Order: sequence, then structure tokens, then C-alpha cells
Amino acid sequence: MSDSTMLLAVFEEIEPAVNGIEKLRELGVSDEQMNVISGVPIKEAILGRPSALSYVSRIAMTGAFLGMLFGIFLIYGTPFLFPLHVGGQPIYPVPQGLIITFEMTMLGLMGFAFLGMLVDSGFPSYTPKEYIPEISDGKIAILFRCPDGQQKKLVDALKKIGAESVNPAEARQL
Amino acid sequence: MSAIAKPLFTPSREEEAEDPKEHLMHDPMPRGEMNSMVLDSMHSTTWKYWTLTGVLAFIVVTCLFAAWYYLIMQGLGVAGVNRPVYWGIFLVEVVFWIGISHAGTFISAILRVLKVESRRPFTRAAELMTTFGLVQAGISVFLHMGRVWLSYWLVPYPNERGLWPDFHSPLMWDFMAINTYLLCSTMYLFLPLIPDLAMARDRSTGWRKTFYKILAIGFRGTEGEWKNLKTAMNIFAFAIIPVMFSVHTIVSWDFAMATRPGWSSSVFGPYFVIGALQSGMAAVAIVLFMIRSTMKNMKYFLRPEHFETLGMLMFLVSLAWAYFYFNDYLVPWYGGDMWDKILNTFIQTGPLWYLWYGMLFCNLAPLVILWNKKWRRIPWLLAILGFVINVGMWLERYVIIPETLTINRMPFTWRIYVPHIEIVLTIGNFALFFLLYLLASRMIPLIPVWEVQEGQESHMLRKIGKAKISTVSDID
Repeated sequence: MSDSTMLLAVFEEIEPAVNGIEKLRELGVSDEQMNVISGVPIKEAILGRPSALSYVSRIAMTGAFLGMLFGIFLIYGTPFLFPLHVGGQPIYPVPQGLIITFEMTMLGLMGFAFLGMLVDSGFPSYTPKEYIPEISDGKIAILFRCPDGQQKKLVDALKKIGAESVNPAEARQL
Repeated sequence: MSAIAKPLFTPSREEEAEDPKEHLMHDPMPRGEMNSMVLDSMHSTTWKYWTLTGVLAFIVVTCLFAAWYYLIMQGLGVAGVNRPVYWGIFLVEVVFWIGISHAGTFISAILRVLKVESRRPFTRAAELMTTFGLVQAGISVFLHMGRVWLSYWLVPYPNERGLWPDFHSPLMWDFMAINTYLLCSTMYLFLPLIPDLAMARDRSTGWRKTFYKILAIGFRGTEGEWKNLKTAMNIFAFAIIPVMFSVHTIVSWDFAMATRPGWSSSVFGPYFVIGALQSGMAAVAIVLFMIRSTMKNMKYFLRPEHFETLGMLMFLVSLAWAYFYFNDYLVPWYGGDMWDKILNTFIQTGPLWYLWYGMLFCNLAPLVILWNKKWRRIPWLLAILGFVINVGMWLERYVIIPETLTINRMPFTWRIYVPHIEIVLTIGNFALFFLLYLLASRMIPLIPVWEVQEGQESHMLRKIGKAKISTVSDID
């Protein structure tokens, strides 16, 4: 049985939202138990939040490496499988090899950056989620886990510092 | 004796009257209102819109698809290409459209990396041009191939005899580079679009809701989602720039790797890249003017300041183009090689002399207007200049490809290329570009609203002395 409730506090501006985060921390809600949802990206430094972990760069670098290997295979591996002499050129030329290798490396880098963004964010996902459409209209929401018995205290505290609404977060179809 | 202080200059009435509210970044609106304005512009379609869509669709069906069918059934003999000019308008179109596609990357990636704030409202309009421009280039390659059903031979896998495509060939480099660019620029178009698709999802009903819901892939705007999105966008912004340069450089190598007069040039790479930016910037000016004047609420987002930024870029790129063209012209001229001399004489004084002079005029004359700040801020004027420059760049590619191919080291083969069905197909190709753009303008938000809001939040006016100075905080 769950001993906590998910609440969604909605703010009009950044400043009260930042104060709200601070307040929640004071009242015992840890950073891991809250998430900020907004219509524009807000730097962690502004929100006073720890930096979110992202694997996108690492996945992209892996893609670049794999792409480079594929490029090397195309330019040096395929002539090995079937040597074809063209215009007296060497079978394994370095300058020409750089072109295909470069293109495949960049394709790997960007392709995997894209896939990394999808995988790391859990996209695509069409299951119900805690969200309200007003967020894309500029509102800032704090989604947080509220320990049982503390709901009233937290709601009052957040409303006092400018939250427009603090309601139980309902998962809904986006 | 007393000295009297005199002002160095008297500010004009216009300078005195400059209102900070003229700048989009200093004229913020609530996000909800901006969302409504953008969605409203997408949903309002007049009879003029549908008429134009219908006309363009008719042109595409007849001039592109029907004419292409005829070309396939009859063979390439119905086109004007023949010995020695095997590369005609189809290849002119390939180079032209790839050039157009460079604008999106340039505006979106380079200006993003350099943090040029005025880019914000028009990055998507330019990125869309990249994707559609590459589609047009791809179609032109297929038209040129004749036996289009064999195009899969370019795909890198071995045939039944175990033979792979020859990756030492510039045409294969081209295939790989253009496809890399097409895939990456499409992903790069999609990434910053996701939050706007989510916004459209939140405000739509019916089939549009389903459409945006699928495309928004479940985006909510959590910290982790933004972090991943921004990281991926940063990687793309940096990585796609060298790919952009490589694509048109490799296109230029399709010509420069051949040891024939007029083509074998080591400056072709950067010269082509600059030419691509020249035509791309000019095309963005045309598209922005059309969006601004035909779509509802767009005057708020696309202002004279944005045209001025674009005009400045066009001015710089035009100067650079002139420099590279002069370089490419001077060296063979000074070298005095017989075949280069014959080719230059043919281009400048032969039966098609007007193409060369037209190219020079269309590319250089706009400089006279672009240097002036006041004129750069006039949207319709910039659109006209954009059109003129694009005519010039199209002519440049015509001079480089079919005209140059006319003259080779075997005079008995010389023959002037006269296009036939290519003209109809070109009309169809252009119509398809405008049709795709027209349809897309009603399907996806052309203004990246979240980026505009982000920019507006980072800008403020600071009073220093008597002046109000715009300052930008680095919150991006």
C-alpha cells in the first residue's frame, strides 16, 4: 500500500515556483521526490535544483564510434571482399576513405543522439501521465511525492507562497 | 577663450524615435496568447489558400508526375541531354535545391551556436526549407537517372555477385553525404518541434489532436526531457555544420574531380558552399515574406528586424560569393590554358552570352541595395532581392553544368544543349516545393513559440544614462 500521494503544484511565474521548491525541501520533500514541468526549458541553476542526468552525449559518442567503424568497413572492407581496380587508383586509398568515414561518423553521432534522446526520455510514450495542458501555456508545475498526513501542511505552505493550485496529480491521457 | 562643445552628429528623428517595442524580444506576450496566435494562423485557411493549393497540386500532377511518367515510358531521348552534354537541367536542379537546403542549417545551427537572438522566430521556416529542398534534389536525381527503378543500386549492399558500390567514386560520396544530410536535417527539424507539437496537442481537438498526440511522442516538459532535448539539439547544432559544408563540397567534387576545362578547380568546394548559402539565404527571405504577408498574426513574430538580420547575412554572403567567383575566374584566365580560354570566350561571347551576364547582374546588383540598413528592413524589397539572387544562382549552375559541358577537348562533339521536357519537369519540381510548404504551413507550427518565449525571458532593457540598452541574460 502506498504511503504517499503525488501532488501537482501550479505556478504562474518562475520566482514563486523556485520558492516552492525551496519550501518543499524545508518540509522534508527531497529533490528526488519532485520534478519541475514547464513549457520552456529552465536551467537547474535558476530553479536551484541538482542537474538532471542525461546519457544522450554518451549514446551519441557511441554512435559516432559505430558510424566510424561502418564507414571504415565500407571504404576498406568492401574492396577487400571484392577488389575492383578503377583508373589505376589504389584499392585502399586514405584521402577518399576519409570522406565516407566522416559522413558515417557524423550520421552515427547524430542518429544516436536522436535515438538517445528518445530512449533516455522514454519516448514515444502514449500512456496516461501527470500533466495539465496549462503548462504549455506558460505555467510552471512542481510534481512531487507528498508523505501521507502532510498533504494539508504542504498545500497550505505552497499556496501561501503563490501557488495557483495544488491538487492530487491525476494521470491522464495527453 | 572658451571652447564650445559641439555634437559629433545630430541623431535623426528616426533614430531618436526608435522604440524598443519594435523588437520581438522586448515586446513579450503571455505564452498562451502566442500559442493561440500561431495555432490560429495554422487553422485559418481562406478560399485563396485552397485555390492556390489546388492550382499547385494540378501543376505537380501534370508537370511533374505525368511528365515523369512520359519520360520513363519514352526514355531519356525526350530530354535535351545528348553528347557531349549529358548533365542538363536535372543536375542544375540538384545543385540548386541542395544549395537552397543549406539555409536551414546555416540559420538554425550556426546562428544557434553563435547565440544570435534574432534567429528565434524564423529557424523553423528555414529548417523546413532544408528538408523540402533535399526532397526536390532527390527527385531531380531520380529524373536524371532515367531508369529510376534501378536507383537501389546506389544503396550500399552487395549485388548477387558480391560486388559492392564503388565508394571511391565522387557520385557515391554524394549519395552518402546527401542522405546523411537529409536524415540529420529531418531529425534536426523534428527535435525543436516536439515542444510545439505538444503545445498543439494540448490545444487541439478531433483528428488534429490525434495527429499532434502521435507526433508529440508524449512530451510533457519535465526537467529530464528538456535536458535530453537540449543536449541532443546542441549536438546537432555543432555536428550538422561540418556536414552541411561537406555536402556541397562533395557536390562540387562531382565536377572538380573531372579533369576537364571549367571544372577542375581546387576552389570549387568553398565556392559551391558560399553559392549554396547565397541561394539559401535568398530563398529564406522569399519564404519569410510570403509567410508574413499571407498568414494570420505573423507580423507579430516576423518583423523588419528579422529581415534586417537576414539582409545583413545576404550582404556578407553576396560579397563572399563575388570573391570566390572572381578567384575561380581569375586563375584559369591568368593560366592561359587553351581550352579554358575557348570555354570562357564561349560562355561570355557565344550564343548563350546573356546567361553569364544575367548571372553576374543578378548576383551582384543586390549588393547595391543590401548595404543600406533602411532598405534591408523592407520585407517585400528583400523578397524581390531574394528572387533576383536565386535567378542568378540558377543561371550560375546552368553556366557551370550544361554550358561548360558544351566545350571539351574534342571540338567535333561540341553541341549546344537545348532543354525539352526538362522545362516542364522543372516547373513541376518548383510547384511541388511550394505545395509541400503550403501544406506544412497548416500542419506544423512555423514559429517555434517556446524558443521565442525563452528569448523574451532572457532579454531586458537596462537604462544607462538617457538610453535604454538591450541586455541578454545567458539563461539558454
